[in-house]
Order: sequence, then structure tokens, then C-alpha cells
Amino acid sequence: MATLADGLHLSVLAAAAEPAAIAPAIGLYHYLFVSAALFALGVIGFLTRRNLIIMFLCTEMMFQAAGIALIAFSRFHLNHTGEVFVIFVLTIAAAEAALALALVVLLFRRKETLDASEWAALRG
Amino acid sequence: MLSFLLIIPLLSALAIGLAPERASKGLAMLGSLLALAAGAAVVASFDWGRGSAFQFAAALPVVPELGVTLSLGVDTVALWLVVLTVILQPLCVLGSFSAITERTRTYYASLMALQAAMLGVFLARDLIFFYVCFEFTLVPMYVLISLYGSTNRRKAATKFFLYTFTGSIIALAGLIYVAWVAATRVPDAAGWTFDIATLRSAAQAHLSPTEQGWVMLAMMAGFAVKVPLFPVHTWLPLAHTEAPTAGSVILAGVLLKLGTYAIYRFVLPFVPVAVVEYAHVVAALSIVGILYGGLICWVQRDVKKLVAYSSVAHLGFCMLGMFALNAAGVQGSILYMINHGLSTGALFFLIGFMYERYHTRSLEEVGGLGSKMPIWSTFMVFFMLASVGLPGLNGFVSEFLCVMGAFQSGAYTLGPGGTAGPLGPWYAFIAGFGMIVAAMYLLYMTGRIVFGPLREPPGHDDHGHGHAGSHEGGGLPADLTAREVVVLAPIAALCLFLGVYPKPLIATLEGPVNDKVQMVLSLGNAAGAAPAGAAGGER
Amino acid sequence: MTGLMGGWATLAAAGGGAAAHAAPGIPAPGAGSPIALLLLGLPLLAAALCGVFAATGNRSKLPAFTSVAALGACFGIALMLFLNWNGQPATARAFDWISLDWGAGKGQSFDAHFGVYIDGLTLLWMLFVTGLATVIALYSMEYMSHDVGLGYCRYFAAFNLFVFSMTALVMGDNLLMLFLGWEGVGLCSYLLIGYYYKRAAAVAAAKKAFIMNRIGDLGLLMGILSTFVVFGTIEYAPLFQMIASGKTASGAELASHWSVWGIPLMFAVGAFGKSAQFIFYTWLPDAMEGPTPVSALIHAATMVTAGVFLIGRLYPLFTADPALIALSVVAWAGVITALWAATIEMAIFDIKRVMGYSTISQLGFMFAGMGLLTPTGAAFHTFTHAFFKATLFLGVGAVMHGFGGQLDLRRLSGVMWMRGFGLVGIAMLVGSINLSGVPFTAGFFSKDVILAQAFTTPGTMIWGAQAAAWLLLLTAGMTAYYTFRTFLRVYVGPREFVPGDDAELLDLGRHPKGVSLDEWHAQHGHGHGHGHGHDDHGHGSDHRAAVRPDFDPTTEEFDPHPPGWSMKAAIGLCMVLSILAAGVYFMKPAVGNHGGWVAGMVGQSSAAFASPGEHHGGAAEHAAKLGTFLGYDPHKVMYYVSAGVGLIGILIAAFLHGPRGVWSLFIGNRTSAAVAPRADALANLFGPLTRAARNKYYVDEIYDALVRTPLRVLAHIFHILDQGLVDGLVNLCGALPRMLARSLRPSQSGVLQGYAVGMAAGLGLILIVVWVLMLR
Repeated sequence: MATLADGLHLSVLAAAAEPAAIAPAIGLYHYLFVSAALFALGVIGFLTRRNLIIMFLCTEMMFQAAGIALIAFSRFHLNHTGEVFVIFVLTIAAAEAALALALVVLLFRRKETLDASEWAALRG
Repeated sequence: MLSFLLIIPLLSALAIGLAPERASKGLAMLGSLLALAAGAAVVASFDWGRGSAFQFAAALPVVPELGVTLSLGVDTVALWLVVLTVILQPLCVLGSFSAITERTRTYYASLMALQAAMLGVFLARDLIFFYVCFEFTLVPMYVLISLYGSTNRRKAATKFFLYTFTGSIIALAGLIYVAWVAATRVPDAAGWTFDIATLRSAAQAHLSPTEQGWVMLAMMAGFAVKVPLFPVHTWLPLAHTEAPTAGSVILAGVLLKLGTYAIYRFVLPFVPVAVVEYAHVVAALSIVGILYGGLICWVQRDVKKLVAYSSVAHLGFCMLGMFALNAAGVQGSILYMINHGLSTGALFFLIGFMYERYHTRSLEEVGGLGSKMPIWSTFMVFFMLASVGLPGLNGFVSEFLCVMGAFQSGAYTLGPGGTAGPLGPWYAFIAGFGMIVAAMYLLYMTGRIVFGPLREPPGHDDHGHGHAGSHEGGGLPADLTAREVVVLAPIAALCLFLGVYPKPLIATLEGPVNDKVQMVLSLGNAAGAAPAGAAGGER
Repeated sequence: MTGLMGGWATLAAAGGGAAAHAAPGIPAPGAGSPIALLLLGLPLLAAALCGVFAATGNRSKLPAFTSVAALGACFGIALMLFLNWNGQPATARAFDWISLDWGAGKGQSFDAHFGVYIDGLTLLWMLFVTGLATVIALYSMEYMSHDVGLGYCRYFAAFNLFVFSMTALVMGDNLLMLFLGWEGVGLCSYLLIGYYYKRAAAVAAAKKAFIMNRIGDLGLLMGILSTFVVFGTIEYAPLFQMIASGKTASGAELASHWSVWGIPLMFAVGAFGKSAQFIFYTWLPDAMEGPTPVSALIHAATMVTAGVFLIGRLYPLFTADPALIALSVVAWAGVITALWAATIEMAIFDIKRVMGYSTISQLGFMFAGMGLLTPTGAAFHTFTHAFFKATLFLGVGAVMHGFGGQLDLRRLSGVMWMRGFGLVGIAMLVGSINLSGVPFTAGFFSKDVILAQAFTTPGTMIWGAQAAAWLLLLTAGMTAYYTFRTFLRVYVGPREFVPGDDAELLDLGRHPKGVSLDEWHAQHGHGHGHGHGHDDHGHGSDHRAAVRPDFDPTTEEFDPHPPGWSMKAAIGLCMVLSILAAGVYFMKPAVGNHGGWVAGMVGQSSAAFASPGEHHGGAAEHAAKLGTFLGYDPHKVMYYVSAGVGLIGILIAAFLHGPRGVWSLFIGNRTSAAVAPRADALANLFGPLTRAARNKYYVDEIYDALVRTPLRVLAHIFHILDQGLVDGLVNLCGALPRMLARSLRPSQSGVLQGYAVGMAAGLGLILIVVWVLMLR
């Protein structure tokens, strides 16, 4: 935790120390902002849409958001842990996509609809 | 040697599971007979001179870090209960041939697994192993009740499982506390251990009287449910009524004894101070159970429920003797475990055989079977008498000793025949009314079901007298078949033998029981928790 | 034999205060012959054989022959034991039954053996028990013949088991062995009363007998346990020695110890239960539902006298009490029972129940004898009563057997004059004069011993002894009346009868072999056209029996069925024995010089006791210390008094119920079975009292209302409570989590987005919390 806070602090200082750079430097914040935005879009999409495929795509989007954040931190800390992790996540996401789409197809065959609210068998 | 007693039933359960359906009967019979042979071998090579010591000890460390060991051993008390288990098992298998015709594989596999678990309880010398077996009995029993029971079986099975399980968890907490005390307070403790003997001495030495009270409460919460003692008995009638015949027999014959055995093995020696202090409470509950259970029997219409409630009354005597804390009482209590297993087990068999023929257990629909089923009726009257405590049959010996124990206990002020102890003549006197009540409800039962004019349910096709006609319930003749007689005859012979000549049991139990009673009383009084002077001038 | 009297209680004078009655000592027992154990083994073997016969489906009279042989052998052994007896107590042991040790000290071991203790009391009882059992087994052979192949084996198995139990009770060498026999006879009584198990009344009566007995047994059990605690042993020999020493096992002075009255009272409760004494007696009349031979053996001659035996066996303990509290209770229970039962007998019409109540009444005499300090009288009366009451019962049984179960004395008359019933009539006359106490009969002498002692025993020893004596004398007169009421109505007078419809008691020849009685009954219906069973509970109603004075047995389809050879032989034997029983009064006793053979036997037993005033210390002593009969020595005048009272009772009976005919010049007004105008007028005079007596004073109903019904209600309440409250609480414990879960249930909508919103909201919440924490 301490290192992370220090890191943030340092980058802020660095940005402040060199105001006249070639272009505004693309720092950690930018990546994190993109990641957060992407994640938020995914969440909003997941919550508002009823179509199973769209919802599934939204979850993928959230995955990618997490991936971006991981890569960014990985570069920031200058190690490869995050990258390794992202590669795992991508692999699993691919497998998961195959599985999930197959499930969606099966569900569609049952009820001829992709509306998620039709599936509420777990209601208590 | 003892491990055979566990391996044989387990292996046969496994074999039944793997073999085709049609082989399961035979395999179960084979397995239970082999277990009987193993039991006989243990009896034959047991050193009766050292009855209080655990013999044939064997140990296999399972989790050495926590001191959990699969360790086995038997003393006389455990051995006789093992004998009871291995004798009842083949009879249960044999008695189920015609009653269970579907899904036999699961049935017999459960039965054999149940036997392994019950034997494990009696053989265990390690607390965790004991507890695992104690709890594992619930699983096959749950299967037996919920799959093969009668109409209300699911409710009964669930209640049985949850009720006894909840109690046992509390008991486990108490036992673990003892283990924790042993691991932390004993000066030279080598880490955790669950060896029962070690825990016992640690508990005796390092628990304060208050702690003992709490530990006793926790343990009784688990074991009293199993017995069952008065206010926590309500699972029993339901489970008994709904269970298949062999399930009821095992339940009454052995499973209830797990509770009393655990009390003998854990409660009495672990927390003697609390036992001496609260014995009168347990005794009072037992007496309430005797009278209350007995009176409830008297108004039952379902004959199986009647016998089930009678177990509440009978086990009340057993607990009364146990907490009399003297030689007669505790020996009577142990004999009671065995005798009740035989006589009530046989009654459940008889009711099961009748049920297979009439598909009802209502005393209003069926009765007066004396003329139609003379052999069945003869056995019924016989086991009723054993149950009612007629001298000359087994029930009397144990009931008399329990009542005598309660009478003597603390009666040393009255004369030399009294012993130290927490109860007294009044307990025996009031419990004695239970013997009258027992006569009332058991004679009511036989009076309706054996005697009187013949009553059969409306749908029942009449075979006429002695005519071996076919029947919807599997082609059974009117009276008992040779197979069913073979199930009952050994139990009857044992009832008679133990009633006339209980000496083999009494003589072998004398040593361990006297040791235990001495220990409990001396420790219980030494800590000063008992009423002043209860140690008695006699010792 | 007198030379061997040893330390038997001999003739201690009554003087010196009440405390000095304890026997100075009963000699330590010698080694008995192990042959005595055969007395236990043979009946058991016979019972087992009967079981084997039943299992093999035997359809012959083999069980009966086996039983008669085994029981006859038992009698032979008992006789041999008696002839070889040296007057000393002896024990013989088979094996340990229940024995425990928990220490080395006194009272720290409990021993109950299968063993026998032989003394005079034992031999006296064994002789008449085995003797009568043999005779009655012979009788049953024919009486039960309608059940050959059905219940025959069951009957004889239970019969033999009964003899075994009775033997265990009488011969056991410890109290637990006695308890074994005590409960065993109760069981056999249960099995035999309920022999006709299809009859609801029989089943109910059997159940009642067993349960009432069990109540008494609780008293007995508590007595046994107290004895053990106080004296440290339940074996007779050491127990008697300890009592004789006047100390309890812990060294306390026995005379002032609670146990000296407490324990006898507990035993007395047991004795009351088994011997049907006051407040426990109601089971015995109902027990008449059993086959008549069973009533004769078990419910008249032997089992019901077990209470008398128990008190006799423990007489040292009963008499150790200086205040004799327990014996006063016993005496008064006996007196009240005797009187109470006699009043009922005078009113009811069922001849078998008359015999049942008469047994209760005579048992009352025996208890009174025990209580009024004449164990000799009690034992003597038990002995003579066994024979003459068995005779009476067997005679009644012959009538039942012959008349299809007819028992109503308003529907039978002149039986004696019918073909084949002559012997029965004579036997009944012999039994009746014995029961009434006609001079020079056995019953006269035995009752006389009790009455004389009752007047002699002073009120300072037994509370209210004089009043008890007068009541007993009154009862003796009533006994004579009701006995001859039955005899005169049933056996003499005009010949007429209405047969009963009790097919079970008809001879086998009347229905095909192997057909069950139910079926036979159904085929024949109530084929006699008279359709009146002996309604067991209908005596209260005043309806007149449908007696036809013109009834001609020869033209009707029903023939009275006279008894066959084995029944006649048994009746004859019993009759002869009850006559001969008078002879023992004149035999020289082995101990002392008074009271005959029975006194000698009792004198050489635990019941040895010097009754106050027995040895005629002179009129002065009587006047000073003992009770008198109107100033005379009761032992001298009682012969005349009791004879007179008995004759008055008989004369009243003859006046009220005697037949016309030979007697008509003097007395008698009865012209048919149903009619006895003077008696009816008298009964009407007493109105409500008669009705109450006919309904047995509603005691059954009172018990029902006071005990059974409340218990039943309580049981129902318990049952409801058990399901509602006890189980309800358990269910509540299960229901609480379920209710909680149910309230949380709607939160699980099952819609995917719903869960997602929850997750998102949770995530937001976490973010906010983190944010707040970070800000701080």
C-alpha cells in the first residue's frame, strides 16, 4: 500500500516538475481513467440491457477494463505481474466466451428469446 | 483384530454398492454373519480378568499434528454392546427380505454402513474417531428412514437428523473444550491429543466445578437427545413410527444405546463433580420420562408409536440406574441397554411382520390376532412380558437392578445395604409406579392386538384358518414363516437366558463398573461439590 | 420329632409385655436334599413339553397326561420330603441368579439364588399345592376336552407354569425368588383368566388381575429393597437370625427402628394385592372369567393364599414390632374384607361369583387370623379351605360343564337329583358344610381356631381385637347363610333348569372336531332357544329369569351333560380330602400339644409364634390380661358358639330358600328355581342396600371414576402436550430460522439484473466506505 501511494505521489510530483513537456505526458491516471470509464460503461450496459448477448458483451467490457488497469499498473511498477495476469484473464475470457455463448444458444432454444428477465427460476 | 469388526461391514457395504441388485441380500447376510464371527472371535479371546482395561488396542495416526488417531480398543462394557450389535445385525438383514423389495442395494449398503459406524462408536478410544462414527450413524439412518419409511418419512428423517445433529454439535463443543483444557492446562502436555483416557484425567484434574457443570450440560445436550431423556425425546416416536422395520430395530436396539454408552463413557468419568451435583436433576427427568412416556403409550392407537414411546419410558429406567452412581444401578443400566435392545427390537420385528400382512398399525383396525396368527401371538406375548419386566425374563433383571440402585443410592443412613450416592428410596418408589404403568400399556396393547375378537382391516382378504394363501404383500402366509421365526427365536432364547442366568454379564461387568463408580464418587465428593457426608461411612 | 425341636420358638408365655413375642430364634438351616429342586424343575419341564406339543400341533390329550404325571411326581416328592424331614429348616441351591458385589463389608453384596428353603410352612403349602394341582389337572383333562387341539396345550403349559411359579414362591430361599414366583403366578393367572381370549370380558378381567396385582407387587418390591438396605440380605436364613438378635445390620435396636413397622406394612400391601384383600379385591370376582378348574386351583386354593404365606414367612419381622402396627392393619383388613365380601355374596345370583366372593371372605378370615396372632389358625384355615373350596369350585364347574355355562342360581334347581349329578351334589353338600362351619368338619375346626384366638387376643396387642372378633363371628354366620342359600337353591328342590348358551363349555361331542368354536357357534346360533347367557354385569337388574316350571329335560333338545370319570374322580378326591382334613386337627403336633398337625408344622417354621393365651394360663390370667368371650375362656366355649352361629345361618337360609317337599313341614317355600318369596321380600326390604351389594357396592365404578378415568384423561393431556408443547417447542426452534428466511426471501428476485444491481450497489457502498476512510 505504501509503495502504491508513494508511486502516485511521485508521478504527480513529476508531472508538476516538468510543465513544459512536448505534450502532456500520458501518465497512470489516464490509463486508469480509461479503465474506469470502460468499466462504468460495462456496468451501465449490464444493468440496463435485457439482451443476454449484449449483457455478456458488457461483462467482457468490464473484463477489458480490469485488464487495462492491470497493464497500466504493471508498466508503472515496471514488473510483469500484471501482464501475466492479463494473459491468463484473456485466455479464460476466451474459454468463457465460448461456454457462455453456447449457454446463451441453449437458453435461446428453450424459450426463443434472449430477454434475461424471462429467466427467473431462482426467485425465492 | 478389532479392525475386522469395522472393515467387514464397510467392505460389504462397498461390495453391495458395486454388485448387482439381486446379490445385495446375500452379500449383506454374508457380511453381517462375518461380522458376527469376528465379534465371536473377540469374545473368545477377550481377557475377562482385565475387564476394565481396553484390550486389543490398535492405533493408526490420522492427523498427527492435532493428535487425531484412529485408535481402537474394547473393555467389557463396550464388548457386550458390540456383541449386541453384531447379533442384531444379521437378524435385521434376515427380517428385511420380504419387507424391502425395491432399491435393495441402497438399503442393504446403508444397513451395513450403519453397522460399521455403530461398531466404531463402541470401539473408539479416540474422541474424534468416536465423534465421527457417532455422527456418521445419522447418514445411513437418514437414508433408511427417508427412502424406505412409511408415509411421513421425510419429515421424520429430517427431524431425526437435525435434532440429534444439533445436540451432538453442542456435545462436540463441550468435548473440544475438554481437549483444549488438556492441551493448555496440563503442565507437560505434548500438544493436542484426543485420546479419551488422557482427556479423562485432564478433565478430572483441571476443570473447575463450574466448568464441569457447563461441560456436563453441553455433553448431556448431545447425548440426552440420543437416549432420549424426557424433554428432548420427541424425535423418537416419529422416527420409530416412520422407519422401516429393521431401521426401528436398529434404532431402538443400538442407536439409542449410543447415547447411554456415551454418558457412561464421557459424562460420568469426565465431570464427576457435576455428575454428583446434578444427578438428581437427571434422575428426576428420567422418572418423569418413565411415567409420562408410559401414560402416553396407554392412549396410543398406533401400535408402533406405542412401542416407540415405551422406549422413552424404558430408557428412563436406564438413566435412573446410571445416575444412581452405585454398582447395582450402573450395572442395571448397562444390562438395560442390552435387554432393551433385545426385547424392544423383537417387538418392532413383530409389529413389522404384522404390518407386512395388514398394512396398518392401527389398534382399531387390526386386533385379536391370537386365533389367526398363533405363533406370532406367542412371540408377542413373550416379548411383551420381557418388556414388562417379568421375573425370569431379561427385562426384570435390569429393571430390578436399576430400581434397586436408585433405592440404595444415598440410603446408607438407613442401613448397610445402602450405598453412597445422590438419589434415594423415594426415587425408586416413584419410578416403581412406572412398572405398574408399563403393565397397563403393554397389557392394553396385547389385549387389543392379540386377544379379543378378530378384527382385520376392511380390504384384507381372508385366508381362512391356517391357510397359506397368497397376499398382496408378497405372498406371505397368515402366520409367521420359518424365516421370520428364525429371526425371533434367537432373541427369545437370549431373553430367557439372560433372565434366568444373567451371571455371565453381571460377573464380567462387575469389575469395570465398580471401578468407575468408585472413581466417580470419590472424585465427585473430594471436590466438595456433593452434599456433606454423601461419601458415606461405609467406604 | 419332638426331640429335634431345637431352637424353634417354643411356647413362650404371653406375659411380660407385648415386646417379648419375637421367636427366640430359628435354627440355622442345614443342607437340604437337592431332590427338592426337582419340585421346581418338573413343572417347568412339563410346561416346556406342552409348548413342544403345541408347536408340533398335537391334537390329543397328551398334554394333560404329561401334566398329571409331572404334578403327581411333584406331590410324591413333596410327600417324600415331608416324611424324611427332620424338623429342621434346610436349604438347597441350584445356581446364582442375580448376585453382585461392590465391597467386602456387610451389605455390600447382593445375592439371590435359585434355591429352596424348607421348613414346616414350606412343606405344608407344597403338600396341598402339588396335591390339589394334580387332582385339578386330572379334572381339567376332561373339563377342557372341548379345546383339544385348540387351546389344550396352552392351557396345560400355563397350568404347569403356574405350579412352577407357586413352588418358587413357596420354596424360594430368598425374597427375590419369592418375587419371581409372586409375579409368575400373576402371569399364569393372567394367561388363564384370559384363556377364552376371544371374550372381551375375559381379556379385561385378565388385564385387571395383572395390574391390580402389580400395584401390590410394588409394595412387595419396596419391602424387599428396604429389607436389603436395612438388613443387608434378602435370604431368609440370615434375615431371621438377624431379626432374632433384635438388631438391624447396622447395629440399631430393631424394636425402635422404623423398619420394624415400615417394612411389614410394605409387605402387607403386597399380600393384600395378591390375596385380594380390601381395596385390592376387585380383580378376584372378575377372575372367575377363567376356566373353572383354574378358578378352583389358582383363585381359591393356592395362589390367593400367597399373601397369607408371605405374612407367615415373614412373621418374625411382623412380630418384632412392639406395637404390632402392621399386624393390626392386617387383622383389620382381613376382618373388613371378610364382612364386606360376605354381604355381597348374600345378594348376587351368579354361583361362580358367589364362590369367588366367598374365597375373598375366607381369605379375610385367614388374614384376620394372621393379624390376630394365630398363624396356626390362619395356616390351618388355608389348608382346609384349599380342599373344601376346591371341592365347591369343581362342583360348580361340573354344573357349568353340564348345563352349557349356566351360572344363575335362579335358573337351576334340583341338580342333585338329575342323572349323573348325584356325586356332584354330595360333594357340594360336603363343601358347603365345611364352609359353613358345621361341627366336626375341617372348616369348623380351622375357623374355630381363628375365632377363639380372636376373642383371646387382647386389644392392647392388636388394636380393636375384640370388635374384630365379634365382626368375624357375625361373618361366620353370614357365611353359613350364603353357602346354604346357594346349595338349597341349586342342588335340591324341584328339578328344573335353563341351559346356558356358552358353547365353549359344552362337550366336544356336540360339535365336530377341529371346527373352531366361533364357527360352531355361528352355525348353531343360539340354538337352544333360550338365548340367555349368564350376563356378567346384569345382576343389578331385577328381571326375572325365563324359567318354565313345566320344563322337562327329557323332551328338550338339551341334555344336561353329567361329568365323566376324570371329573368325578377329581371331585370325589377333593371331597374325601376335605373330609379327611378335619382329621389333622386331632393328630399330635410335632411341636407343642395343641392345634393338631398343622400347628406342629407351623411351629417348626418361621411362623412359629406363641399365641397369647394359647396355653390356658387359667381364668384369672384371661380376665387380667387377655380378651374373653363374655367372660368365658374363648378357647373353651368357641366350639359351641361358632357351631351355634353356623347353624343359625343355615336355618335362616333354609327358611328363606329351602325347597318344598321333605322340608315343607318346617320351613321352605320354594316351588321353582326362580321363586323364593320370603327371600325376595327380605331383599326388597333392604332395597337400596341389596341393589348396592348386587352391584358390588359400585367399587369398580368408584375406582374407575377415581383412578382409571383421571389417569386416562391425564394420559390424553400428556399426549396432547407432548405433541403440542414439548414437540411444539422443538418445532418452534426449527420454525424460527425458517421464518427469518421467509422474510428475507423476496430479496431474491431471480432476475439477473436485480442481482447485478445488488452487486453494483455493494461495490458502490464499498467505494464510499473506502472513500470515507481515505478522507479521514
